[in-house]
Amino acid sequence: MADVENRRDYRGGGRGYNNQKRKRNRDDDDADGYRNMRPRQEAPPGTRIRRGLLEIAEDPLRLPHEVAANVGKLAADNWEDEYVRDTFSGVALKLVVEQPFKIPFVAGVVLYANADNGEIAKDIISQAAPLLQEYLGAGQWREFKLMLRFFACMSQLYEEDGIIPILDELFNRAVDLQTASPDDAVGIELVKIILVTIPYLLAATEDASLQQMASEVLEKTDIVASTPHPIEALVDPYPNTTEQDGKPMACTSVISLMQRQLQEEASNGWQLKCIPRVYDPNHKASAANGDGADETDGEPKEFVKHAFPTITVPSPVNTGTKPLFPEIYFSLYADQEIESVPPTSNIASSLLRDAILDTVNILDFNRNVTARFLNEIDCYWSPGTFVKRATTFDKLRDMSTDKPTWKPEDVAIDAIFSQIYQLPTPEHRLVYYHSLITESCKISPQAIAPSLGRAIRFLFRNVDTMDMELTYRFMDWFGHHLSNFEFRWKWAEWIPELDLSNLHPKKAFIIGTLDKEIQLSFAKRVRDTLPQEYHPLIPQSKENEVPPFKYNDEATSFAKEGREILQMLKKKAPEEDVQNVLNAVHEQAANHGIDPLVASTDIYMTAICSVGSKSLSHVLSTIDRCKERLLAVGSQSEPARRQIISSVVGFWADHPGTAVNIVDKLLNYTIVTPMSVILWALQDHMDRGRALANSQIYELISITMFKVTNRVRQVLRERNNPALPFYQRQQIDEALPRERQGMRDLFAAIEDAVAGVAQGAQDEMIERYDGEEVEQQLIQLWGARWARVWRRKAAVEEAVVGDAVVQPLVEPVEAVEDTVEEVAPVDALGSEDMDQI
Amino acid sequence: MPGIVAPMRNTVERLDKPSSYAMSKYKKRKRNDTHTDTTRPASPDLEEKLADATTLYVGNLSFYTTEEQIHALFAKCGELKRLVMGLDRFTKTPCGFCFVEYYTHQDALDCLKYVGGTKLDERIIRCDLDEGFGEGRQYGRGKSGGQVRDEYREEFDPGRGGYGKRFREDQEGFADEYAGGA
Repeated sequence: MADVENRRDYRGGGRGYNNQKRKRNRDDDDADGYRNMRPRQEAPPGTRIRRGLLEIAEDPLRLPHEVAANVGKLAADNWEDEYVRDTFSGVALKLVVEQPFKIPFVAGVVLYANADNGEIAKDIISQAAPLLQEYLGAGQWREFKLMLRFFACMSQLYEEDGIIPILDELFNRAVDLQTASPDDAVGIELVKIILVTIPYLLAATEDASLQQMASEVLEKTDIVASTPHPIEALVDPYPNTTEQDGKPMACTSVISLMQRQLQEEASNGWQLKCIPRVYDPNHKASAANGDGADETDGEPKEFVKHAFPTITVPSPVNTGTKPLFPEIYFSLYADQEIESVPPTSNIASSLLRDAILDTVNILDFNRNVTARFLNEIDCYWSPGTFVKRATTFDKLRDMSTDKPTWKPEDVAIDAIFSQIYQLPTPEHRLVYYHSLITESCKISPQAIAPSLGRAIRFLFRNVDTMDMELTYRFMDWFGHHLSNFEFRWKWAEWIPELDLSNLHPKKAFIIGTLDKEIQLSFAKRVRDTLPQEYHPLIPQSKENEVPPFKYNDEATSFAKEGREILQMLKKKAPEEDVQNVLNAVHEQAANHGIDPLVASTDIYMTAICSVGSKSLSHVLSTIDRCKERLLAVGSQSEPARRQIISSVVGFWADHPGTAVNIVDKLLNYTIVTPMSVILWALQDHMDRGRALANSQIYELISITMFKVTNRVRQVLRERNNPALPFYQRQQIDEALPRERQGMRDLFAAIEDAVAGVAQGAQDEMIERYDGEEVEQQLIQLWGARWARVWRRKAAVEEAVVGDAVVQPLVEPVEAVEDTVEEVAPVDALGSEDMDQI
Repeated sequence: MPGIVAPMRNTVERLDKPSSYAMSKYKKRKRNDTHTDTTRPASPDLEEKLADATTLYVGNLSFYTTEEQIHALFAKCGELKRLVMGLDRFTKTPCGFCFVEYYTHQDALDCLKYVGGTKLDERIIRCDLDEGFGEGRQYGRGKSGGQVRDEYREEFDPGRGGYGKRFREDQEGFADEYAGGA
């Protein structure tokens, strides 16, 4: 307790150095009183500076400009200490690229320090400049953007125009890139960097000439920012809506939005209200050393100006290693009746979003800290930007209209969701963003849960117009999230949707979500969390952990042989005995006009599933034992190969997730091929298009295509791997077109199948749905949604591994040293059979 | 990195490191290892050993959690190469831990960062980098067959066999007395 109380009258020295540790290590036996009487030992200044910087702005009880002034003063007073110098620049520059929220505050510290001692800013600039240059040269755009922002926030320091010439140069490169190719996304990224830097620059200075120059830059960027990018339409989260219907959200590109917002801000005299102004030239550091007033050096020193470092923007710029795509501004809460987040007309929406996303994506290595930063987001923006934390949504209604009514929780959650729904893919695995929401809920459940509730309702309400891949991400997140919170959700409010056809996207969403929940838990547990009305969706049969063996039923054809095979597999009988029984099946089948190998394969694979039904490991070891025969079956007959899939999916009908896992492993064994999975699902089992509403089918296709595309990407990576001997890379290079073609054939097969459904072209469909227009429309909608998703995925892969982006393989001039690392197997998938059918 | 004298690698702690438990266990082992056997080279540093680790130890599972449930959660960080359930040495039934092996080190790190400390089957699970599964390690090392931590547990944990087995035995004498009285 004493720590907390001390803190406020202890301004100079961070949080009471090491009190916690001392308490534990040495003072275990001391009474509290004794500790407080002992003269306080100050930590050395370097340590205090380090803490002061790391924790800057985090404590809402301390005014940030005071903290900044004190840390700056402390640094200025101790700059002759080498440890202080190293710590200060090391921590400050690391914070810039790791904790973007704190950039204006760190810059503030430098400005305060400069008022006392010009050396500090000079040192910082000279250390930051090579980093800025390095990030720029390497095409590390995020780090470059943040370091440039740091320079922008220190604009008062420079003698000349500061960063403006860099912005101009960046724009020229963007134009070059855009002129070279309309598909270019790096130029777009450069323009985004320009646009997001301008506000920080203008908030840091009142220099009218800089404002003038910034406005000139802004005039130029308009042409790039306002032109729609050709790929933009592919990454639209709500594509199936026409302008007249009104989209659930605006879905405009991030840069066109920012361009408009900045023009708006310019016409309002660049108020830029949300950016904190940390440096106040009239503010004096108080009690910088924590031990009483330090007013000895009364007269103000001169604020030294510095030369801006020379930064060269290379031409052409290095485009970086990450493939970039244009971004759409995604917001669940923006532009609605109640303004719980900044409207998309306000530059604050872009500034907040940009800083939050960088924080989230940089700090993926500690989701707990990231969630805490998001929880205290109001500390990092100017006071009054947000309403008080945990203000309820209903209260916002009654708020006066002249102040923002932005809820910090909504702004943070909105940003996390924008990543889950980022197309084509977010920076990190989706489960990271899931875990971030979970942690945020743990930190302040009462504040976050209602925001999540509104998000979930928004998403559900618009699930039928959402991009289909995103509805599956929604399902995946929702099921996973609920599994972390006792499966609590107000299911009662969706009871009316249960009357919809299973083909309706809303109903399909409910069915799919329950299945996700069951996969992470078990059927009875999930059923117990649901109102009665939902129970038919989870039939008793889902509770059987071990499905029945169909050949135990005498009515099944080949019941006797089925049971025999099962016994033989259990007893690990010799292969000849198995073959004898299967031969008998072949004979009978032939007499009945059934494909013999299909009939025997059904028996064999179903028996494998049954022997291995206890767990995934069991079925895997059984498959491993039987793989020779299974491989032989596949190579003999394609219908038999697809029967393997049918048997697995049939056996595990009540546990669709398990079936998908087994097929996944069968792909690894090359017992089934990617093409056989696709044709099994989208040709043999299309069910006149109904299959497209089934989440299991989508998952089967997804895991298959992921394996294939991932493999082609790996092949390309290995081909470009300078650590490999050149002859090996040449061999890989020769294999690349074949691999790529295999992938294209698979995309084409999907396209063929689903485009037909989208157009209602399947003959059977027309007959079947004559008069059942609603169903037909739903099925066509699914066809259209599938087509969109897979066209995008195909386009994305072309952008990553297509002929157009792959440069010719050139032998490196210098022989690479003998540091050849062991070549990792390309992946679990065998090297043949990729495109075989 | 030129021009930077950074005494720190990150401004916040990383979650994708071996836990302090694993480190302390390792240090203890190292201290006790007098290293008299000169024919055998000193074992490499733990951090080094874990630098390419693709396996995770997963703890605090319920005894009833199935492979399928574990798979459903852990596959969110990448395809699983192998999953080995921890078993009671005597009964050969799950005893609340497992080893999850991925194809890549990065997947294992992602799992530490994003899945460790979240819930599976409504329990907070613990993940730790592991040097790799070896035969025999799937069995509990406790006296009564399960994990050591379950031997003396005084709290009732319905997901992990109620009270600790040893604890229960210690208590049984008293229980009999009360039973007699009633």
